Amino acid sequence: MSLQRQRKPIIWNRHDGRGSGLKKLMKLIKNFFKRHHHLFAKGGRFEKLGPVFEATETFFFIPGIPTVKDSHVRDSLDLKRFMSMVVLALMPPLIFGIYNAGYQSSLASGLPLGFGAVFLKGLAIVLPIIFVSYAVGFFWEILFAVIRRHPISEGLLVTGLLFPLILPPTIPLWQVAVGISFGVVIGKEIFGGTGRNILNPALTARAFLFFAYPARMSGDTVWVVVGGTGGKLVDAVSGATPLAIANISEFHEKIDILLTKGGYSFTKLFVGNYPGSIGATSALLCLIGAALLILLGIASYRIIFGGVLGVLCTGFFLNLIVTETSMAWLSLNPFYHLVMGGFAFGIIYMATDPVSAPGMNRSKWIYGFCIGALTVLIRVFNAAYAEGIMLAILFMNLLSPLLDHFEIKLRLKKRMENA
Amino acid sequence: MGSFYVKKGYDLKIAGKLSQEIEVLEKPDHVALCPERIPFIKPRLKIRLDDTVKIGSVLFEDKRNPDVKFLSPGGGKVVEINFGPRRVIREIIIRLDTDEQMETFEAISQELPAAIEREALIANIMTGGLWPLIRELPFRDLARPGVMPPAIFVNLCRGEPFQPDPDVYLNDRIDLFNFGLKILKRLADKKVHIFRSPDFATALNDLNGITAHVVHGKYPAGDPGVFLYYTRTSPADNHAWYIQGQDVLLLAHLLKYGTYPLFRTVAVAKDSLEHGKHVQTRLGAPVADIVQGHVREKGTRFIAGGVFRGYTTSRTSYLGLYETSVTLLPEGDKQAFLGFARPGFCKPSYSRTFLSAFNTAGLNMDCGLHGEARACVNCGYCSNVCPVDILPQFTLKSIMAEEVEESLAHGLLDCVECGLCTYVCPSKIEICDVLAAAKKAYYLESA
Repeated sequence: MSLQRQRKPIIWNRHDGRGSGLKKLMKLIKNFFKRHHHLFAKGGRFEKLGPVFEATETFFFIPGIPTVKDSHVRDSLDLKRFMSMVVLALMPPLIFGIYNAGYQSSLASGLPLGFGAVFLKGLAIVLPIIFVSYAVGFFWEILFAVIRRHPISEGLLVTGLLFPLILPPTIPLWQVAVGISFGVVIGKEIFGGTGRNILNPALTARAFLFFAYPARMSGDTVWVVVGGTGGKLVDAVSGATPLAIANISEFHEKIDILLTKGGYSFTKLFVGNYPGSIGATSALLCLIGAALLILLGIASYRIIFGGVLGVLCTGFFLNLIVTETSMAWLSLNPFYHLVMGGFAFGIIYMATDPVSAPGMNRSKWIYGFCIGALTVLIRVFNAAYAEGIMLAILFMNLLSPLLDHFEIKLRLKKRMENA
Repeated sequence: MGSFYVKKGYDLKIAGKLSQEIEVLEKPDHVALCPERIPFIKPRLKIRLDDTVKIGSVLFEDKRNPDVKFLSPGGGKVVEINFGPRRVIREIIIRLDTDEQMETFEAISQELPAAIEREALIANIMTGGLWPLIRELPFRDLARPGVMPPAIFVNLCRGEPFQPDPDVYLNDRIDLFNFGLKILKRLADKKVHIFRSPDFATALNDLNGITAHVVHGKYPAGDPGVFLYYTRTSPADNHAWYIQGQDVLLLAHLLKYGTYPLFRTVAVAKDSLEHGKHVQTRLGAPVADIVQGHVREKGTRFIAGGVFRGYTTSRTSYLGLYETSVTLLPEGDKQAFLGFARPGFCKPSYSRTFLSAFNTAGLNMDCGLHGEARACVNCGYCSNVCPVDILPQFTLKSIMAEEVEESLAHGLLDCVECGLCTYVCPSKIEICDVLAAAKKAYYLESA
């Protein structure tokens, strides 16, 4: 009897296909792949599309490949799950982003603000962007996989969702397509695909759009989709983002007061119900995502905390050098920097991309800190590029191998020789 | 008595536990010696098919040093010599006579191992065929007899899951063990270190000034390479010798009684690993004898020597000279439906991406890859578990770029080949295999 009881974990395992309905569905899909496998195998009619078939099949079934070399047992975690966890952590900002895009649009167009209607409107705005991003992204991924004969990588699951979330909701779909193409091809594939890129592909895509089509990526009019009132904003609503307001403020005006006047209290900036990039306005929901990523052990807390520290330190330092005649930006309470613009989203979801971030622990702190510091510096001193986090991360992406290099060098010096 | 903590490592959350009970197996029909599983040696056969051999007759010697002999673990007729690819000798199988003949060797009295010359002692062990039990770090080749080792480590840790418990195999044999320690002291000019896990219960008296260290920490804390990494004080220590606790008994038996020792305590775990137990059998015993009873052959993997470092064997094969365990695991060739999206309450993982992070029970494991090979994304899991603080993800890249100096600086030779980096890798890269191969290539090239 006691033995029977110990067996309990096995019984759980046996119930992997819990419920007969699911089991039936599983069998159906399994048979489908079995039946069509020969078409995509070597010598089959669609041999070239093998990676596509394989990617689809492994989406449904983690293949049962036994180990050949040591060790005999392997962890259950694979890259698919690794990336899926990031997608999971992106859900809070995504859902809020959909709602917010709908809400801002309805507000600006003078439409009813009921939750259902607003959310549907948000879906209508955001879903096509995500769809285009994934579709075009996967097109390139598949093309490279087919030509270079490697499996389709899961990295695009994340890139394809990150990219729409940092775009303005008014972005034309063709620009989404052009942007993700640049990000995937130039940002990733020409280096050899996922794991070998030096820059974050989603940010590369956004940077490309930012410099190639500045009219569609910055300014006061791009952040809210307006419809129904002839394309004109309802008077009461300003389309200016907090970063833009901070930029235009006069020298002697207190910047936080100005922001509040413009409708941006700290709470509002924190919660994120204001016009901005689709998924990046809410620091609160990014925080939830951050907690999830850190708990799951996917993102490095060192980078995130380093970034926050970098922003605060630089912000305080700038406060210290404020004089009567200096720019208003300098006197901004540093905590505002954390919740304004896309900093929270960037440091949590983009800077922590393990491929383009350093691998060593101390380097991660430095990397995060520098991103934070650079973000503030770019925002404050370079008014033309209101969004500092994007350039800060891309710049630090370039430096991360160097940080690793020096930390490894120092570390190896301490190691006792064995040769 | 020193004690230290191994900071990194990982204990598998695998279901099942070995019981302390020990079952004495009957004499097998056949035994074998498996030269293929002894690293680096170049065997030269000294017998032919159908020859009659005694227990302790020379079966083959190492061409690199013909004084290193490998003796027959049984008396009878050589019925099979199996070759593998490139004429590697897989097994020399001996059908045992009911009344086995035995070679005799020079015995030394228990009181006097200190009086005997070191060279004479080494010669005794070599003729007695047990020199291969002593191995040299960092490459784990057989020890070089002409060299005075910086130290000899005696391993009284279980190491991997389902390995024989030192408390079990030392039971009743503690005098023999102490005698073995005296021999080792003679070999290493008194610099002998025992290391054991904290739950080791046998009282080690009469150590004569040998230090017994307690090693705390997760797998592979009980590895001589890890022990070396934590205790070495100069680069010269890197070439320390080591011997498994159970092998000390064999060595002592040979020198005390003048006969080739045959006893072996083997851990065997099968049936979802729930009925793990110890069996008392002999050197080179058939796997089929060790794994008694019904086992579904199809879809089951027979692993000799541990789930991390062991090799795949089969029911028809025999246990190697160094291996003291047989573990049976499911082959893991089953597909997992929507595996990446499941909560995974029962999926063992080092990461926290499955709900199994909250599951304290042991989990069933299999030999599946649980994913597909991908490029390294620099997640850093491997360097988080590496017991000797290598940065496997960076070392791997330096090896692939053939930067030998750089990989050596990374501590490639400190690698204990524990297999943890390979285990945790979400990209399913055979990291440990690449490191071990590079280490081996370096050894063969520099030798």
